[in-house]
Amino acid sequence: MYISYIYCDSMLEKEIETYYKNKEELLNQDRGKYVLIKNGNVIGTFDSEKDAIKIGIDKFGNIPFLVKKIETIEEEQNFTSDLINLC
Amino acid sequence: MSSVTITNQNLQREGPVLSAVISIANQLEKKYAEQKLRVPEAIELKALIDTGASHSVVQEDIPKKLGLEPIGETRVNTPTCSDHICYKYFLRMIIPVQNNSIYYEGVFTALPLKGQNIDCLIGRDMLKDGVLVYSGCTNQFTLSI
Repeated sequence: MYISYIYCDSMLEKEIETYYKNKEELLNQDRGKYVLIKNGNVIGTFDSEKDAIKIGIDKFGNIPFLVKKIETIEEEQNFTSDLINLC
Repeated sequence: MSSVTITNQNLQREGPVLSAVISIANQLEKKYAEQKLRVPEAIELKALIDTGASHSVVQEDIPKKLGLEPIGETRVNTPTCSDHICYKYFLRMIIPVQNNSIYYEGVFTALPLKGQNIDCLIGRDMLKDGVLVYSGCTNQFTLSI
């Protein structure tokens, strides 16, 4: 089912794919934590987003990696004032 | 907790806007120093405190100017657009205050902000550990983080 969430032309396409491949297992083991993924590898899970990012910077430096909260329904960002020019 | 109080006679028209400086995160700066790489110069910008924003935002070209790569993606909903995928970046923001500047490191979503000379939205993720006092009758606001 993860295929439906993958979008092409993303710098994090491989990492997103890896997340959805491992999502069930991650939910069972570390729901609510943050996962750090680089390419096809789950590097680890962490209690806070900042911890995961800092480990990512430490390991990989300034190259794209994915830090994502492990949750069933993914949090979206909402902006009620119309200051953003997306459409 | 550090605080900044701004007085603006046009507060109602312009909103709670303040000057800030944004740069790469402290940890990446250290990494660059170890590798003897040039650290990109910090960028001065105007930030609007936006309680209607669930998360903080930077103008989409700022991470590129800092040479930064993303640390995640997210879905964004606005009044006119939904489910838009955008990149997230880990950045350091400093709000200069005379004695004790406000220092914040966190995740910012890169998005195209409309006109108005605003390059950053300070959203509720940044406010969640702080205090915002908006005093319309005195044309003042105070942000403490």
